[in-house]
Amino acid sequence: MIELPERTRRISPSRLHEILLAHDAKSVVDPFMGLPTHLNYLKRHNIAVHGGDLLEWFVRVGEGIVVNDLTILRDSEVAEIVEMLPGRIYSLDLFKAWEGVFFTEEQCVYLGVWHDNVRNLRSDGQTGLAILGLWRAFCYWLQKAQSPDDMQDIPPSELAWSYIRETEQWVVANIRRNTVRQGDVLATIGAQQADALFFAPPARNSFRSADARIWMWEAWWQGNPYFTIEHAYRDSLLGARAADPPAYARALASVLSHAESYPLVIAQTTEARLPEIEGIVRNARAHVEIIAPHPFEVYVVATK
Amino acid sequence: MTLFQDTAGDPRAARASLADVLAWYGAVGDAAAGNPPGFALRKASVAVSLAQIANADDAERHALFFAGLLHAIGAIGNAACRKGEDISPRAARSERWDIPAQGSRVCAQIAALPAACADLVRWQAERWDGTGFPDQLRWHGIPPLAQYLALADAYVRASDPDEALGEMSLQSGRGFGPTHARTFTMWFHSTGGEFELHEVPLDALDAAPEAAAWLLDRAADAIDAHNGVSGRWRRIDALAQTTARALGLDAAATRALALATRIFGAGELHAAHAEGEEFDPLARLGIDERARNATAAADLARPHAALRDAAEIVAARAEWFDGTGKPRGIGHADLATASGVLAAAIAHASLDRAERLETAIGTQFDPRVVPALLEAAKARA
Repeated sequence: MIELPERTRRISPSRLHEILLAHDAKSVVDPFMGLPTHLNYLKRHNIAVHGGDLLEWFVRVGEGIVVNDLTILRDSEVAEIVEMLPGRIYSLDLFKAWEGVFFTEEQCVYLGVWHDNVRNLRSDGQTGLAILGLWRAFCYWLQKAQSPDDMQDIPPSELAWSYIRETEQWVVANIRRNTVRQGDVLATIGAQQADALFFAPPARNSFRSADARIWMWEAWWQGNPYFTIEHAYRDSLLGARAADPPAYARALASVLSHAESYPLVIAQTTEARLPEIEGIVRNARAHVEIIAPHPFEVYVVATK
Repeated sequence: MTLFQDTAGDPRAARASLADVLAWYGAVGDAAAGNPPGFALRKASVAVSLAQIANADDAERHALFFAGLLHAIGAIGNAACRKGEDISPRAARSERWDIPAQGSRVCAQIAALPAACADLVRWQAERWDGTGFPDQLRWHGIPPLAQYLALADAYVRASDPDEALGEMSLQSGRGFGPTHARTFTMWFHSTGGEFELHEVPLDALDAAPEAAAWLLDRAADAIDAHNGVSGRWRRIDALAQTTARALGLDAAATRALALATRIFGAGELHAAHAEGEEFDPLARLGIDERARNATAAADLARPHAALRDAAEIVAARAEWFDGTGKPRGIGHADLATASGVLAAAIAHASLDRAERLETAIGTQFDPRVVPALLEAAKARA
């Protein structure tokens, strides 16, 4: 049975927005963006947003809901993603390795079909939206594997259709330039200049215990069921220093030193990691305020 | 003058007044959001019942109750609901997503509420699969109590309890976590979907003596902003109070009048435009609209003891002195002076020339009220 860990960290974009407003910040960079729904929220509220991540599917979704201002997927286009199209040759065995372990044979076939159909979409925006919608169908399956009696059997194409169709509501323009990039933290910070840096530093070695719903979807997007997330993190700023706590702390500090020109820095963490993160931030900034509404949702807000 | 009866330092009385204002505010939020009357109290009661099944402790249940009661206050002033906004349906949908966060900000300012209440309001519309709003939280990032609030909302909205059960089951793993959907099923089977309306847990309120008055002022400001007439109640209240003093109204009537100036605007929330925008306040043509607004505002306030006297003043503010007004057609001695003062002060606020009020003496307005009010207006000017 696959384990779906309870999340131990929460980012509330509406609260983040309140913090940004309180400091009159109109643009923000998030170099560890993850699934960029929080950037989508900020974009909807007229903040210029720039995100970065090492995992490609996060970036692709960002192209759908952060960069994209107007492209949506219409019903006919969604139908062409969720079902096998006549005349197209599919790699139906692509995800056979997951069969029986995580998914049924039918689900594995659909994963292969969806993978091929999404790769054939013509626009980045549409691709991002499709990846997001399909990911939600994928999460439903994993959840159902855990709670088979509590959840309904929904035909795969119907489930995917409803989730992809729903993505159009997140497409919004804010008449600002918004960007996402696949890359390491320092490269993302260096590539942009904004009023605020927001980052939620991952715990040391956290990628080794990453949620299956995250790493498996990267494997799906890469078309490689044997993909592990360590591939993506091996040579990154934090991944390379995961075995050495002082080096890891220095790497986090280097993030702040690269963000020296940002007037505002917001580090999101948990109560358990607060002493570690607060110490690093206080070394870099003169004024630090802690906003801690919940043990799993703590913001270290630093100004010059 | 204190807005509510002097409680002589009795904290329970202060809490009771605050509870009434909170319940009224919740009902006003429902009116702004287009929910049916009583929706907030039903939602709060179902959510608390669900939390009982899930063994939530008293503090959690109290926070949940107030979150349910105030679930829609973010709609007051929201761009998708307020008057005068010309936005596309798509933009309106997006604006509506902010209602929970806006409500949460208001709750955070009400110091008397349990601390957890604000974030329950914020996350009441989040969905397990991450497609909710405003924060698109997903899975265990959503507090279980917020999920009970979402379940209660869906249940109270459903036209038929059995249909609701089917819908919750369909939404398991999508709108609601499987565990939470199971809790709902347990609750449904153990209660048959029946529930009792809960009393406001007074002991959970940490009420300062002036908390109720502060909240009422704040709510009245928000209602005026929503109706596109910012600051109107303050102008009307100042004029009405001076007039009441000149007419020698007793303390109880003056206090009720002060409350009435703060709550009458709630009756306009359902209307497409602010009162007085379409019809002259002295014209008989607008009497139906004024009566409708008066009745709506009174209906919102009447169930709450602290606002009951004010509700009666508001209810009669579209009556005419000569007995030809609406909705009841009462006049002369049957019409409370405070209602006449409120009606004249409201009309005065939308007139370009105040002396026009004199043309309605003896018909629309009480002959004693108008001179006193014009005198008060002159003195204030």
